Amino acid sequence: MYVKRFSLVALSLLVIFTMLLSACGGGTVEEPAAEEPAAEEPAAEEPAAEEPAAEEPAAEEPMEKPSGKIVVWGWQSALVDTIEASGVLADFQAEYPDIEVEFVVTDPNDVYTNLPLAITAGEGLPDVALVENSHLAQFVHMGGGAGLSDLTEKVAPYIDSMNDYKWTDCTLDGKYYCLPWDSGPVVMYYRRDVFEAAGLPTDPDEVSAQIATWDDYFEACQTIVAETGAYCFAHNKANNFGRLYEIVLWEQGLGYYDLETGEITVASPGNVATLEMLGKFWEADLTSDNLAWTDPWYQELGTVEIADKPIATIVEAAWMEVFMKSWIAPGTAGLWGVAEMPSVKAGGARASNDGGSVFVIPAQAPNPEAAWAFVEFCLGREESQLKMFEVSGFIPSLETTYDDDLFDAPNDFFAGQNTFRIYADVVQRIPSAGIYGPNYDMMNGSVLNAIQRYAAGEVSAEEALQGAATEIQSNLE
Amino acid sequence: MSIPTETVTPSTKAKNGLWKQIVKNRWAYTFISPFYILWLIFGLGPFLFSLYLIFAKWGGLGPIEFVGLKNFEYLFKPGGGEVFWKSIGNGIILFFMYVPIMTFLAIVLAVILNSRRVRGFRFFRTLIFAPYVTSMIAAGFTFRLILEQDGGLFNIILNSFGLPGIPWLEHEWWVRVSLCLLVIWGWLGYNMVLMLSGLQTIPRELTEAAQIDGASPVQAFFLITIPLLRPVILFSVILSTMGTFALFNEVYTLTATPGGPLRANLTPFLHIYNTAFQDFRYGRASAMSYIYAILIFALSLLQLRYFGRQEEE
Repeated sequence: MYVKRFSLVALSLLVIFTMLLSACGGGTVEEPAAEEPAAEEPAAEEPAAEEPAAEEPAAEEPMEKPSGKIVVWGWQSALVDTIEASGVLADFQAEYPDIEVEFVVTDPNDVYTNLPLAITAGEGLPDVALVENSHLAQFVHMGGGAGLSDLTEKVAPYIDSMNDYKWTDCTLDGKYYCLPWDSGPVVMYYRRDVFEAAGLPTDPDEVSAQIATWDDYFEACQTIVAETGAYCFAHNKANNFGRLYEIVLWEQGLGYYDLETGEITVASPGNVATLEMLGKFWEADLTSDNLAWTDPWYQELGTVEIADKPIATIVEAAWMEVFMKSWIAPGTAGLWGVAEMPSVKAGGARASNDGGSVFVIPAQAPNPEAAWAFVEFCLGREESQLKMFEVSGFIPSLETTYDDDLFDAPNDFFAGQNTFRIYADVVQRIPSAGIYGPNYDMMNGSVLNAIQRYAAGEVSAEEALQGAATEIQSNLE
Repeated sequence: MSIPTETVTPSTKAKNGLWKQIVKNRWAYTFISPFYILWLIFGLGPFLFSLYLIFAKWGGLGPIEFVGLKNFEYLFKPGGGEVFWKSIGNGIILFFMYVPIMTFLAIVLAVILNSRRVRGFRFFRTLIFAPYVTSMIAAGFTFRLILEQDGGLFNIILNSFGLPGIPWLEHEWWVRVSLCLLVIWGWLGYNMVLMLSGLQTIPRELTEAAQIDGASPVQAFFLITIPLLRPVILFSVILSTMGTFALFNEVYTLTATPGGPLRANLTPFLHIYNTAFQDFRYGRASAMSYIYAILIFALSLLQLRYFGRQEEE
């Protein structure tokens, strides 16, 4: 009887625990074993970290090489299609045979949902995470800098060699929390054949000279629409997510907040004027209403015949080239040209940024030494950056790579034009702007609603942006 | 095995009687314990923690700062707090746009499929129920493709009849209509099954007797079936009320900017999610959740009162 009862208790407890464990998910079960030995390292890391950086370049480790396993979070196009495909991963493993690298391929949005939760919980953290600049500051500011590893001493050798603007959202209170990977220098892509049909110049230098300001651009767009019937560029109204607006703000060094004071500038006169300027293109019906990253938009970019109304221009970052070539518009090879983007005021800046990404190391990463070795090897080493640039086309933030011959290669997709030199030239002129801040998601949400209201004709640009500013202000309190 | 068949009824005994019952039914409790242990950890735990957070400011990391009633002040003054009320308003608008239609369709379909005249009713039942087991995320993306302004299937069909295309996802009101289409498509089957199970409790003789007395099928439907089905309809409408305010996958996937143009489809659930997990303002999100929960509770109570009383008459 007792035996029977005991076995019944044991059985039911077993069942309950199995269910509890399976409900908690497989990941957490494995972790303690893997984490325990490595968990001591973060504590040992802090004093050790100061030494190598203070005396000599961090690349040459005077001590033993780091070892163990690291987990890297990121997306397909970066991890698999670039780091692995370029051979940089193999190079790294040859250099650090004791480090085992595991790629966890996810969607960027999954990183932004899971990373903060992992940081909060201190559990299930990756050693390295890839983050787009639009979301970087959010992580840097988490808990006043407590979420990510302070890399100030480690990145010291790279501060001058990376694009200066890339450090804006990477720093907090003078400390550095990331190492930049790639930059998003914005240029104007244009269709040579459409320009020719409209009687506009087709040579890149001439286009840059003739379309020097947004007013010039407006005139050129009018000519294009009148002469060819093709739309000048795509700019959706109802579902606008503010990308082009942000690009033009950034070009002027404007943004959602003042970099110095932190004051909200969402409804500043410059911002209002920028939105009104883009609104002019809507009023004159010069833009197509196709939403970026949807099928009609791809179709419009990939249209070859002028009679079928291809899109004539697109103001976007250099990575756009990669997507156009590979899957959006491979059929249009040889038809495009690259010119500098127009400036808002005559003689003003003609460079802006869109996107770009960095590697970060969470503060409680299980294996921070090996993580830094990986990050530095991929992003700080010229050879790696060039190899990755060659396969991906993402413009390295590491400026010392721009002297390489790779940047002088003619680009077949652009009728043999040397486009990389333009990107490398533009990227060094990108101003700093208060757009990718710690509250970017929230601010972008309010601003895109304002743009949509303005586009729908509900309110004036000023009223719309004023509403967004009030919203943002109260959200920040 | 000696698991008592009698279930626990705490109200029948005095206070030490409850404990006696628990002891008596200890095996039953042991076997159902995975449920309440998990519920304590993942249900009650977060519930109490967010009750604490409604008075606090917390970004997920670092100290939790006590701010008193600031989170509620925020909701009742101009600015970001208005977005929450807009989302509640959206919930009410969407409720009136699709719940009456969906409930009516569910009843009609259930009655048709319940009468044995329809051949292959099992097939149709499965067909109508199928969308419910489909992933709403996949369905949302598919609807997005179908409803595209240029080149979407619906507008191609409209154009082929010489009609102008409709800005399904490009207009504040049309995007709500589109959402209603998606929700009705996805949830009609589930509600129909609820109605069907309700219909099966109504004796067939009642309708037959009425028809012998000269009532038309339509009269029998409105005067006999609907009144007898009232408890089930009530249940289904309450579920739909909660469902409307909690729409998430549908609104997240249907439009490129989650919530759609001019926040037309921004539901309270989506807004709370954004506040907590994109903006990392857990205190504010908790305050919204509690207001939202109280509101849903009140609405359900109102519906119960209103429908319940009529039933007694």
